[in-house]
Amino acid sequence: MTLDIGMFQPMVEVITQDSINRYAELSGDFNPLHVDVAFAEKSEFGGTIAHGPMQLQPCFRSLCEVLGVDALPAGVTMSITYRSPARPGDSASFSALSVEENEDGAEGFKVHGQSAKADGTVLADIKLVIPSE
Amino acid sequence: MTDNLLSNIPFDSLVVGEKKGPYTFRVSRELADNLIGAVGVAGEASACPPAVYPTLFLMALRQSMGGIPAGSILAKQELEFHKPLAVDVDVHVFTWIGETYLRRERPFVVIEFEIQDDVGETVLTGRKIIVWPTGPGEV
Repeated sequence: MTLDIGMFQPMVEVITQDSINRYAELSGDFNPLHVDVAFAEKSEFGGTIAHGPMQLQPCFRSLCEVLGVDALPAGVTMSITYRSPARPGDSASFSALSVEENEDGAEGFKVHGQSAKADGTVLADIKLVIPSE
Repeated sequence: MTDNLLSNIPFDSLVVGEKKGPYTFRVSRELADNLIGAVGVAGEASACPPAVYPTLFLMALRQSMGGIPAGSILAKQELEFHKPLAVDVDVHVFTWIGETYLRRERPFVVIEFEIQDDVGETVLTGRKIIVWPTGPGEV
């Protein structure tokens, strides 16, 4: 298998209060910071924020598309550092910044990417390790 | 309204290493189909998409500790995929506190997860690293 940066097509997740509410229903996480607009407006965030994993959605989709799978294969690892929250109205997009061959023994690739808003604000740094097979 | 109650476990009450679970959940077709594309935009998943696993973490956390405490901040998340999973199967989720520590005077909590399929094989391991809303000595 080969992997290069051009294979990662931009993938966008538009965050809306409806999509946040839907994620709350799917995950059972009804933290008012996510779903209670009045509560969240009084918080330090000044409004509702998306569940952290929603920021990963474009990365998951992009990675699955590159690998041609619905479920990720054994050996894939992801390390995500959250930088800032996504809010309703934001568009979270994933882009790969670098793709390198693994140099620590196992055959495969290291991908460094970011989830970011349309204005460039980084939502999350994402490091992936993808085995060759 | 119990669904909306939030955890309020003080930092000092967290017990490192105490494994909780298994909590059993169905990876339903509805869940998989709604997480294979944009959230809530139904697609057709032939297998369990990766976005399902963080929701299983959240479901298990609600059962093990009432969810993530209000005021906490998700700092990092790590996922290790061990085996692809089908759809319309039961999974068993274990969760435990892996570590608590202070860094630059901020309290961090590492919550570990292991997800097993219906024959007990590990399909995913991972962790959330959370800045906890209370530190040592605080309630």
